[in-house]
Amino acid sequence: MTGLLRRHPALLPGVLFAAFLLLAPLFAQRGMLNDLWNMAFFVVLATAWNLLGGFAGQVSLGYSAFVGIGAYTTVLLANAGWSPWLTLPIGAALAAAFSVVVGLPTFRLRGPYFTIATIGVGEAVRVIASGLEFTGGSSGLRMPAGTFDFNANYYAMVVLALLTLALVAWLQRHAFGLGLDAIRQDIDAAEALGVPSTRAKLQAHAISSALVAIAGGLFAVNFQFISPGSVFDFRLSLTIVLMPIVGGMGTMTGPVVGALLFSYLQIKLLASPVLRDSYLFIYGGLLIVVMLFEPKGIVGLWERLIALRPRRQAPPPVGEVRRAS
Amino acid sequence: MPAEEGKILAVSSVSKRFGGLLALDSVSFEVQRGEIFSVIGPNGAGKTTLFSCLVGTYPPTAGSVRFRGEELKGLRNDQVVARGLVRTHQIVKPFRDMTVSDNVRVGVLYGRLRLRGAKARERVDEVLSRTQLGHRAQAKAGILSIGELKRLEIARALATGPEVLCLDEVMGGLNPAEIQQAMALVRALRDSGLTILMIEHHVHAVAGLSDRLVVLNFGKKIAEGRPAEALRDPAVVAAYLGDETKEARA
Repeated sequence: MTGLLRRHPALLPGVLFAAFLLLAPLFAQRGMLNDLWNMAFFVVLATAWNLLGGFAGQVSLGYSAFVGIGAYTTVLLANAGWSPWLTLPIGAALAAAFSVVVGLPTFRLRGPYFTIATIGVGEAVRVIASGLEFTGGSSGLRMPAGTFDFNANYYAMVVLALLTLALVAWLQRHAFGLGLDAIRQDIDAAEALGVPSTRAKLQAHAISSALVAIAGGLFAVNFQFISPGSVFDFRLSLTIVLMPIVGGMGTMTGPVVGALLFSYLQIKLLASPVLRDSYLFIYGGLLIVVMLFEPKGIVGLWERLIALRPRRQAPPPVGEVRRAS
Repeated sequence: MPAEEGKILAVSSVSKRFGGLLALDSVSFEVQRGEIFSVIGPNGAGKTTLFSCLVGTYPPTAGSVRFRGEELKGLRNDQVVARGLVRTHQIVKPFRDMTVSDNVRVGVLYGRLRLRGAKARERVDEVLSRTQLGHRAQAKAGILSIGELKRLEIARALATGPEVLCLDEVMGGLNPAEIQQAMALVRALRDSGLTILMIEHHVHAVAGLSDRLVVLNFGKKIAEGRPAEALRDPAVVAAYLGDETKEARA
């Protein structure tokens, strides 16, 4: 651990924040813990989405489908007598399987055509969930009584967020991440060098949708009630995309920054009766500003500021190794 | 010439149709192991289309491509690379946001060799030094000159560990000194045991390097043989200079 920190000093704030999240229940109020839970939830969604959307450049607007699959799996199985914990891997597996079924046809499309197709998939799943009897139709489903344990759910979401960050960071540093980066930059060149692009995209899709589905399961436990309007909502899909874009797509810190900013805004705005429905509006404004001035998001702006600052010491040597293979 | 002789690539009756255009019309030839084999022809003759059909960028409409006795038709590009046949792109396709070293690493990690760890790093360094890009290893590919980008195309393809290297106009846009350098590189690659299949417009390079060549015109093979003979073939002269008009040399 200390060795890792010495090699990557940039990890220090992350480690401190992780420690804060894990220790918070010892001193923080319930309201603050709720906010932190919410932040961790959005960190999972944004970071997992970024694996496919940011690193591989496949911008999907259908991720609420995976939140919903995870949430519905948990509620349905819990009502059948399962422990909510055991439902999480089932939801993850179902979401991963569904991501492959969706990915096989849609990954044949490129750029905006892929994105448009994923909107269709997300909406189709919402309409189906609203129409089916066993999903409770548009009125939704309730968790069975006695399944709520705030502390356990808080820790589960925080641990999931940390594991998601660790997994995505690990993948990014290895061959898989380099392959995704190659696909994003030039898919034809990537294939010409032997990158199996469709398989890599399917794998990234499956991993990220499984993580998102686990978050969806914990969402269901936390709120004890779900409906197509809450977990299959297109606005949720949009939120999942906006966080990494505003924070900085294809970076590790970008989606986290976007998620923290978004959950903070949402909490503040929801508390205000005048502004409660305007958070997407404000976020849209932020999106426009980011797109106009720095396509790499807040992280890109920050890096430019750092570069502007007069240097006190010599720049790092050119031979600095950025990525270990 | 390397010790192991014999044909490594057999192209038979390969055709490619794009809608109403027959881009390749039943093209056949064989490449021997250790050869430098050129594909030449005027613009639009179907040379790059031929390369795309060989490596599986898209499938040929008809015909067969056999590499070391194995049928390649129906395999995806990445599967063909894994078997040891790789191509470069005439219009260079660098990963611009990646360092030169990471560009090459993609080929090392994913090609035929699929090396990891220290072996992968060694291979990256070796390929960079063979293609004289070592000093640019940590530069972003987006800032390279055209000569360096052409070498990066070769370096990435070489990194995959091919047996046959298909070079699509790697000398286009280079100055005379860079062309000399590129010719020396192609010769060195062949001498290291590779078989080279190359599309080239530069006549001096083609004549100086090729053991044999085929000439394509409007998708058809119009000549084949040693450069000295094939380049003098009346059909080839007509294809390049026109039948009756006396247009300027390309």
